[in-house]
Amino acid sequence: MFAPVSSGFLSRRGVLLFLLLALVAILSTSAIAQTPGDSSGKRLEAIRAQMEKGQGLYVAGNYSGAAEVFEAGYATYPYSAFLFNAGVCYQKQNDVDHALAKFKEYLKADPNAPDADKVNARIATLEAAKAAALAAAASASATDAGVSADGGVAAPPKPAVILPSGDDQNAMKSLVVIETEPDGAPLRIYQRLDANAAPFKIGTTNSGWKEVVATHAPANLTLDVGHYHVVVEKFRDFNASEADMAVSPGHVHQLKANLSQGQFMAFLRVSANVIGAHAWIDDKKKEHPEWGETPHGELVPGGKHLVLVEAPGFEPFLSSVELEHGEQKELEVRMVRVGYGVLRIDSSAPAVAVSVDEKPKGIWRSGEEPLDARSDSGSHKVTVTSDGRKTFEGIVVVPRGQILPLHVKMIPKYPRGPAWTQAVIGAAFLGGAIFAGVESNKLHDQLQADRQSGALESSDSRATEGRWFAIGADAGFAIAGVLGGLATYNFIKDPLPESSVKPGKLLEFDDPLKARPVARLERPERRTEGVAALQQAPTFSLTPNASSSGGGLFLGGRF
Amino acid sequence: MRAPRLQFGLLCLVGISASACSWSRFDDVTADSPNVLLEKPGSMKSGFGNSIATASSADTTVVLVGGGAGDQSGAALYDIGRDASPSTTSVDSGYCAGGTADCFLSSSLAGFAHAPGPDMERPLCFAVGTGSVMTAGLELRCRDASEYTLAIPTAAQKLLTFGLGENQAYDFPVATDRTDHPELLVTVASEPGVHAAWFYPPSSIHFSELSAPKTLFADPTFGKSLAVLVKGTERILAIGVSGKSEVLLWKSEGATSSYIGCLGGLPGLGRALAAGKVNSDDSDDLVISDDLNVSVIDGDALHALPETTSTECSFSSLPAGALLGSFGCGSTTSMTGCATSKFGAALAVGDLDGDGDGEVIVGAPDMTVRGESGAGAILVFDAEKPSDALFVDAKFLSSAKSGDALGSSLAAPHIDGRDIIAAGGNGKAALFYCSPLLAHGAGGPRCP
Repeated sequence: MFAPVSSGFLSRRGVLLFLLLALVAILSTSAIAQTPGDSSGKRLEAIRAQMEKGQGLYVAGNYSGAAEVFEAGYATYPYSAFLFNAGVCYQKQNDVDHALAKFKEYLKADPNAPDADKVNARIATLEAAKAAALAAAASASATDAGVSADGGVAAPPKPAVILPSGDDQNAMKSLVVIETEPDGAPLRIYQRLDANAAPFKIGTTNSGWKEVVATHAPANLTLDVGHYHVVVEKFRDFNASEADMAVSPGHVHQLKANLSQGQFMAFLRVSANVIGAHAWIDDKKKEHPEWGETPHGELVPGGKHLVLVEAPGFEPFLSSVELEHGEQKELEVRMVRVGYGVLRIDSSAPAVAVSVDEKPKGIWRSGEEPLDARSDSGSHKVTVTSDGRKTFEGIVVVPRGQILPLHVKMIPKYPRGPAWTQAVIGAAFLGGAIFAGVESNKLHDQLQADRQSGALESSDSRATEGRWFAIGADAGFAIAGVLGGLATYNFIKDPLPESSVKPGKLLEFDDPLKARPVARLERPERRTEGVAALQQAPTFSLTPNASSSGGGLFLGGRF
Repeated sequence: MRAPRLQFGLLCLVGISASACSWSRFDDVTADSPNVLLEKPGSMKSGFGNSIATASSADTTVVLVGGGAGDQSGAALYDIGRDASPSTTSVDSGYCAGGTADCFLSSSLAGFAHAPGPDMERPLCFAVGTGSVMTAGLELRCRDASEYTLAIPTAAQKLLTFGLGENQAYDFPVATDRTDHPELLVTVASEPGVHAAWFYPPSSIHFSELSAPKTLFADPTFGKSLAVLVKGTERILAIGVSGKSEVLLWKSEGATSSYIGCLGGLPGLGRALAAGKVNSDDSDDLVISDDLNVSVIDGDALHALPETTSTECSFSSLPAGALLGSFGCGSTTSMTGCATSKFGAALAVGDLDGDGDGEVIVGAPDMTVRGESGAGAILVFDAEKPSDALFVDAKFLSSAKSGDALGSSLAAPHIDGRDIIAAGGNGKAALFYCSPLLAHGAGGPRCP
């Protein structure tokens, strides 16, 4: 049973995006791609990227650049489609010799190419054109006596090349990779020659269709742009299967047929606005190793799949995607950052206490890892205190799903000793002055009362006493005022700057799935108020580990 | 709730600051104070204020404050003027101060508006004691610092001469009336056997001896209190014998005199005597203190007494209505500490409100004032009639100290149409300018 193949699932813009993503994917996975364990999927991704890059340059008119890409592609991945495409690019540049060389090399590399006749015709045309050009040049040379103005013999003129018609963007050939599970199944590929032809049907004449390839899987084919029908014939005890396929220019198409299921696989590519996001497929609970990191494409069985994409600092993305057998589909995921962030705080002070919105977040001490304070994203009041230093208070905007490093520069408090001394002495003078004033008033009141009662005598010693109290009060108030002013000034005076915070560059959340499996370093225990640090006994551990890139045993301990 | 308290506290602070800022307010409150303390001269020894006397002329009033007794001290003169601006420092402290001649200060002093002298009449003089100025006799010193002596009876002269020779002081108490030309009364009482009394008629430097049954003289307390009452040209000479609770009375006119009787019957009678117009008639009245009370006897009644040879001492010889009033320390108003106040230790009569009749001024030198025991006070009574013998005022010093004994001596200097109180104590002497009897504003700036 065959499923129709989606041929043009990428538009021109889509092609560019796809190429970009493919390039990024290639770069990011190049190290993996060079390892002995390189999977066929990743290799195909690389080929696909190379092919689409060349196609993009070609479409843009950069024929020389496209030729270089195709040449390089062939050097790395010796598929004949690269040679043909390079030949077309040279031909576009009127570089007949290189074009002829590539077309001939193409036929040499793939003598059974389904378009061998067409290529031979192209070669003949080019050579004829070249010959005609040479003859014309010779005739012109004879007419002009073949002598140049300086008396020398003129070089033969470059032949004028007439390009074959139809060498537009569709001239690029594509690489079609057809695999079966198991290998070795016989294949037949039919090209639709008539756009109005009826759909291909096995066992009928299929007018408008032409068989262009008959081979066995796996097959790497170079095909022209067009519609094809792939037929996997009955093999061993497997039934035949078939699928339509639309070949677009300059692409790599991959078809894989699971003969036990009697179906072609589908190709799912997941890309996201977060490079390296982790993707799981049909594994919502993440019970198995991740499917891949975005962007990631891989053959998957047709049908409905549940795709889970996660990245630190982003909300998990869960989506269902349905693919037809043999369909290539790209799932573009737009991940949204989580609604909280982390402030990563350290300081110039030996120890600081951090509060966010008046809620204690912990104490950081010098030598420890920076204190991470998680908060909802948005503006928050951050307060950092330290003994003997000026308190920092400020509004900090906590990013969404990211870490904002904050280095708090805690400025020592300006010493207030003189101010306190002045204040205390001033208060003592004030107290004394108040006492003296009260006593003075009391004596004055007594004298006044005595005067009213007729008992007051002129030399009453209380008058002298009261004068001294009044003078003392005045002096005390004056001194207290001066000292109070000085104390106030010295309390206000502060030549030192305020404590400040220097935000660092935003960091992404740590990704535990990318942490290297190394022995953990011992770090000082971060104390929590009211909780004693836990004392741990020396340990020795032997830990098995397995990952997609390898496995092993880790020996670790803490003494 | 806290803000208003804080504001109130700040306001209080500011108020205290503002009110305490001016020390000059003490100058304001003590300026023109009701009472004026006279400064004790540095040359004065102990006993300043034990005796006090006054004399007035048309121009000024002077107050003499005596200190000590015998040859141990002297007296200082203060010119207090006729208004309420006294000089508080002594203008002459050479009264009976030794100097060129010996002088024994008397326990009482007597002032003269005009005193007869050997050669001429002198204003503002005081009989201060006995001494030897040219000749031994009764010594007077005047405002112009002139000194002279008056002759004294032979027995007294002998006693004085003996005393001067032996440096033995004998007390010669003196008293005058308050006329411009007063009569001077002098006594002496000493052991053994010299008890004499004589007087110098107005403007006369010659003495006239007082005669009476000798038994009446025979007491060491004879003559310690004296008073001279005036009615026209007549005088009543009163001599207290407190040890016998008697007051002897003579009537004089010119150089003649006659014994008219003896008052007695009350314990301690005659401790102090004073003369002055208590009621509104023209004669001076006699004020007598005993151990408890002060009695005021109408001068007219005394002038009406005939000469007598009786030795009986009582009030029975007085006509009805002669006793104008008799009152104790707390008899007319509630007062504490009277029992131990020595109420009546000194007496004076002064017209404190200038209404023509005088108020009785009583010293209580042991009275407790503001918790200061023995600080002393002066009590003023209006005793014009028995029915209105009312307590008027109590005078004391705002700077009263324990033991001041203010009120040990009293006088009533005349200023500006009224009398004020001059009181002496133990080391202090003061002038009291105000009285509640004064009409508002009549006392000048010193009196509220």
